[in-house]
Amino acid sequence: MNVWLDAALVLIILLALFITVSNRLGTMIHLFGLQSCLLGCVPFFIYFKQMEFYIAFVAGAAIVLRGLAMPSFLYWAIRHVSSRSESNPTIGFGTTLLLSGAAIVGSFLLATRLVFPVRIASDMVVPCSFSLIIIGFLLLTGRVKAIAQVVGYLVLENGVFLFAMLLLKKMPLLVEMGILLDLFIAALVLGIVVNNINDEFDHTDTLELTTLKD
Amino acid sequence: MNSFIYHLGILLVFPPLLLGVIGKTKAFFAGRWGPPLLQGYYDIFKLGRKQPVYSVTTNWIFRMGPMISTAAILAAGIVLPISGLKAPVQFGGDMILFVYLLALSRFFMVLAALDTGSSFEGMGASREATFACLSEITIFLNLAILALLSKSLSLSGIFLGGLSSSWGQVGPVLILVVVSFFLVLLCENSRIPVDDPETHLELTMIHEVMVLDHSAAELALIVYGQALKLFLFGCLIVSMIFSFKIRNIAAEAAFFTSGFFGLGIAIGIVESAMARLRLNRVLYVLYAAFIFSIFAFIVILVRGHA
Amino acid sequence: MTLILYCLLILAVSIPLMLALARFKKISAHVYLGSLVVACALGLFSASGVLSRGIAPVDFRLAGTIPLGEFYIGMDALSAFFLLLFFILSLAAGIYGYGYMRDYKGGRNLPAHFSLCHLLMIVIILVVVAKNAVLFLAAWELMTLASYFLITFYNEHERVRKAGYVFLIATHTGTFCLLGMFLLMGVHAGSMDFDRMAMAPFPLGMAAGIFVLAFLGFGVKAGFIPLHVWLPHAHPEAPTHVSALLSGVVIKIGIYGLIRIMSIVKDFPLWCGIVLLATGIVSGVAGVLYALGQHEIKKLLAYHSIENIGIITLGLGIGMIGRYYHQDTVSYIGYAAALLHTFNHAVFKGLLFLSAGTVIRSTHTGEMDHMGGLLKWLPWTGHLFLIGSLSICGLPLFNGFISEWLVFRSLLEGVFHLDMCGIIFSTAAIVALGLIGGLAALCFAKAFGTVFLGHNRSEHEHHHNMEGDFVLVAPVAMLAALCLWVGLFPQEMVSYAFQGVKSMEGAAVPVVFRQAILGPLLSVTKVLFAGIAIFLFFALLRRIFLGACRVTWTETWGCGHAYTSSKMQYTASSFARPVLKIFRSVVLFRIKSEIPKRYFPAAGQLNSGVKDISEYFVFRPVFYAVKKVSRGLKWIQGGRTQSYILYILFLLVVLLIWKLR
Repeated sequence: MNVWLDAALVLIILLALFITVSNRLGTMIHLFGLQSCLLGCVPFFIYFKQMEFYIAFVAGAAIVLRGLAMPSFLYWAIRHVSSRSESNPTIGFGTTLLLSGAAIVGSFLLATRLVFPVRIASDMVVPCSFSLIIIGFLLLTGRVKAIAQVVGYLVLENGVFLFAMLLLKKMPLLVEMGILLDLFIAALVLGIVVNNINDEFDHTDTLELTTLKD
Repeated sequence: MNSFIYHLGILLVFPPLLLGVIGKTKAFFAGRWGPPLLQGYYDIFKLGRKQPVYSVTTNWIFRMGPMISTAAILAAGIVLPISGLKAPVQFGGDMILFVYLLALSRFFMVLAALDTGSSFEGMGASREATFACLSEITIFLNLAILALLSKSLSLSGIFLGGLSSSWGQVGPVLILVVVSFFLVLLCENSRIPVDDPETHLELTMIHEVMVLDHSAAELALIVYGQALKLFLFGCLIVSMIFSFKIRNIAAEAAFFTSGFFGLGIAIGIVESAMARLRLNRVLYVLYAAFIFSIFAFIVILVRGHA
Repeated sequence: MTLILYCLLILAVSIPLMLALARFKKISAHVYLGSLVVACALGLFSASGVLSRGIAPVDFRLAGTIPLGEFYIGMDALSAFFLLLFFILSLAAGIYGYGYMRDYKGGRNLPAHFSLCHLLMIVIILVVVAKNAVLFLAAWELMTLASYFLITFYNEHERVRKAGYVFLIATHTGTFCLLGMFLLMGVHAGSMDFDRMAMAPFPLGMAAGIFVLAFLGFGVKAGFIPLHVWLPHAHPEAPTHVSALLSGVVIKIGIYGLIRIMSIVKDFPLWCGIVLLATGIVSGVAGVLYALGQHEIKKLLAYHSIENIGIITLGLGIGMIGRYYHQDTVSYIGYAAALLHTFNHAVFKGLLFLSAGTVIRSTHTGEMDHMGGLLKWLPWTGHLFLIGSLSICGLPLFNGFISEWLVFRSLLEGVFHLDMCGIIFSTAAIVALGLIGGLAALCFAKAFGTVFLGHNRSEHEHHHNMEGDFVLVAPVAMLAALCLWVGLFPQEMVSYAFQGVKSMEGAAVPVVFRQAILGPLLSVTKVLFAGIAIFLFFALLRRIFLGACRVTWTETWGCGHAYTSSKMQYTASSFARPVLKIFRSVVLFRIKSEIPKRYFPAAGQLNSGVKDISEYFVFRPVFYAVKKVSRGLKWIQGGRTQSYILYILFLLVVLLIWKLR
């Protein structure tokens, strides 16, 4: 089972890398949806031997909410957006890609130094979640378009979710559901904000919002 | 001596077939019947019989460049095992010779392009050399990873059995290496997301514009050399995937051939499904290939399979 | 040993002879040539004798001749190895210099120049064979002075004087560190003799201190980035044969010094090796990137020296790391690779500088963007430059490949035998070396392509017989033959390098081990000969195919342009632009353009260039601060005699108080 877990994690990171180089918002959302679906499958691989109902429920909820609902909602948000591609990000595509590579190396080296109280199914889970978080941060800070930033935020969240999965047995279901709901609301609000920005200003460049300050 | 002849024979005969497979696949996706499978051979013979045209600006480098370049690629093939067939020469560190012979071949192609004094060919040469720098480091990193896993410094040692146990342990990571090699293959052989092998001009000014002034026998050699290079990179990938030992020459040959057809079809699918990337985005392909192999390297290192 | 003494004697005698005959320019030049050839022949014979037999001759000492020790020289295999490359290059550069200076029309005193060349030779030999720290330092200092006067030969130009000035300051700063280092070592060991020092055990802390001082002191001379500031200024301004000597030998003496210290102190902490390896990576990659940004041919070659020093340092660094982990395979191959690359670099860099000299001599410019198509007019020089380019890029068939292969091999052994930290660093070095190789190939494709291929870019008409005679071609051809010889039959030089390693480590390299390196090298040769055979086969095939055809000669196809001019060719700057753009944040690549924006043609211009980061962001601020401080202290030296007398009085009082305390 370990091999499948590894394969899923490798794919998740690869998808994150693809998100960093894709300049079309639609593609970013697609890739994010795919990544979240894969992430939803990870609990099945981790808790293969001691499967319980609520784990399956969390995983299923993650697939449905993160993998299907959120992307289609984001699609709805960019429906009317005037330009659907990220043209000049503040941190270039190539730089983001190289920095993500550095982040991957760094998080793997960091993870070898950490000691965890729980036994971990694969030693790749923790570094992968770190890398996802850093890549999410990079997207969040490096992109100009609001939707791209939302995707960055969601990738970051995916990293947190991956980390939380290690503690799935220790964490009550309710908390997990609360987090998911939180995330959903956050994305919803952001989506509506984006829509309104677009309606008001005819574009969604967040950089231009800085001119609004007094 | 015999193994030398078998090896060179395979390298001389088979490469243009791969072009045919790719062409057929692309035609299938375009809904056409497409050129025959042996079109590569026809092209080479056709070009070989043509009259040459040389520029008065050029020196011997222009005329000898393609020969030196193709000879270097063929010499690189001597150290690479093909399927179960051991390389006739193998020694610790032959992977470096392999990469450097390919670099030698590129160096002379670049010089031959500069020899014409044409701005188009200068442009192609400059881009080809630039992208090659980046793909070379990925090849080196990938080979270092494979050496680390298989505990062998020679290509034959790596591909003939050295890797077989690694697939079980770090299979998903090895897939990363395969993908990284595949991206490098696309770049180095000027396949579609990077360059378009079908046209010579204007839009795809990397490899194909570099050979713009060559004609007749030299162009035939260049076409053959290009196919050969694709074949060698294909060999790397296919023998990485089929790295287990069967000890049955027929079965191995069958596996290998099917692997090659698979590779040709994969390249064909990529070429049909994707458009050519803008020049500044070609870099991201190379960066991605490099990062994939860094990812693989760090996982293998942390796992302690070293 | 006696041969070396004779060699020194001949050189020393010929200096006053040349100066005495200064009035008869021809005779004095012949004295120069004769003494050079004889001295080099003696030296080569003696050095190769030591290397092939593997036995060091008896040392030579004169008791009580210099303070704190004696005049004590000896030649072990390590010295012999460096002497070998030194004599080969001095012979070639010296003969070339004789030819190059023949048509010099300026007012300088040529015999004085030639005697300075001889003086440089004498002191370099002394540095390499010195077995006493005081003698070493004295010769080292003289070497700096002699090189300074050689660099500033054309001192009527402002920038030449400036280059010499930078050189002098930089190397003296280095010498200061060396002085401290030798004092530290001498006090600890209780002697200034290298042999006695080698017997004393050095604690790790002290070894680290010695390493830092040696790294700074020798690093300045060798041109490690960021200590390289003098190098790209001094090399292009010197006369060509002097540049060849500077780049081929003088900076190698920095490497020699480092290796000598490594053979004396032996055990260093791990981080020292890592620092060396990292310096190698940085110098190699940044050196070649800066070289790509240069459009002046000698400046380009100067930056390539930094790159090659980086490759040598990679070998030394992995050797040191291997030694720390007690992995003999790693350290032996690493050291041997460093030594061999030192030799190879001396040969091909000499070759490149000398042929660049011929190019400059015949076109009267060093700007590559004003050249083009020279292969037709300078056939010998062009082909020799091609051989040099292939060697420096480390491409197979030539010597650069052999040493780079050895460096790769030692790094791969490092990947096998070291722990996680070692694996990470050796893999980083493998990747860096791959990048260096690719970039170097790009850079020399650019250099050879723009200078020798294509159309002529300048208004200057070329004419035949630009190349010069036998004296200018033969030494360069000799170096090229050496490149090919080492590239195709590397056994001899590799075993010489292992002799050097043996005297460095103080223990013989196991035979099994040597076979493990020489065996693969034989296979390399096999593949290369197979490649040549295939090439001949292809050439034959082409001959058969083309036999019946009519060959058409015409203009290069201009893709439909009716009017093509040589100005439309790709230039050196445009060729290097894509790769510099990728690395623009590393090398500060800037393009300034004034492209006409209107519809009608107007004058436009475009400038591109790279800036040396360490020069602009490390040394400028430091020098600025130093200048400011010294300006503040200027009042001390006010020029009034009365105040000076006051200082003397003040000093006397202070001394009196100190003594009476």
